[in-house]
Amino acid sequence: MAEDRFLTDLIGVTTSVSTVVVERGPVAYFAEAVFDDDPIYRDPEAAREAGFDAIPVPPTFPFVMESWGKLAELQVAVEEQGEGLAPALAVLKARGGLILHGEQSFHYYRPIKVGDVLKGTGVIVDAYAKESKGATMSFLVNEVTWSDAETDEPVLTTRFNVIHRL
Amino acid sequence: MGTTLFIEDVTVGMEAPELRHLLTRTDLVRYAGASGDFNPMHHDEVLATAAGQPSVFGHGMLSMGFLGTAISHFVGAGRLVDFSVRFSRQTWPGEELITRVAVTMVREEDGQHLVDLDVSLSNADGEVKVVGQATASLPTKS
Repeated sequence: MAEDRFLTDLIGVTTSVSTVVVERGPVAYFAEAVFDDDPIYRDPEAAREAGFDAIPVPPTFPFVMESWGKLAELQVAVEEQGEGLAPALAVLKARGGLILHGEQSFHYYRPIKVGDVLKGTGVIVDAYAKESKGATMSFLVNEVTWSDAETDEPVLTTRFNVIHRL
Repeated sequence: MGTTLFIEDVTVGMEAPELRHLLTRTDLVRYAGASGDFNPMHHDEVLATAAGQPSVFGHGMLSMGFLGTAISHFVGAGRLVDFSVRFSRQTWPGEELITRVAVTMVREEDGQHLVDLDVSLSNADGEVKVVGQATASLPTKS
């Protein structure tokens, strides 16, 4: 099929620039929401006994940490923060069809803990379309690279794969 | 939880204890609040049925999160190096969700003792909801 210029032009677009603070309350509540009753996510003493100097976070917490941890006073100017995938998804939605979260991955360089201040930059690293069983499938891959705001050391890379099926 | 898993304790084919959870609408609302994902398909039955869905359905990331719980209880919190999944089916209130975590390889790389895992989440009929892989770095006894 012909190259979809809308998609290929998305590659390299910066989707987000943010700073998040990892706070104790949201971490404990998130553990509850993923049915994890481990005291390590709630009790600093339990975390210390397990060898951590602060409460660690559940494995998929980084996917949501911008929701409650992106404190306004720590952010760059609004026009520099990126608009996420929303503008791209709006164009795809206008074509009809369905948007699905196809895949998700996390690569951890070190445990994330309560008290961390992290900087993240999201970039669309891949965007393409292919025909499958008579349907047009468009794929977008948004990669967010997180580092420690104090030391600049890498902390985490996440990949979010969205599928648009038309 | 509580006990440490050492690399010497792990063998290929070993499986973590499965976790089971009967999914409720309250669980979906709790996850919406904890995650900040207020897509109405996950909490608003009126909108979901109007959109042609049989009912509200679970967030994909709630499924991955529950798998993360099962993996963490097995390898220990903060031990994961990689965790990736593909979402294949929606989850529905009233379904019992069951985790599966199985060891596929034990290896050493750059001085780290790694264990590779195949992971999946299914309902009680065996319908697979989420499938993926994870790698954890484990301590040694020596």
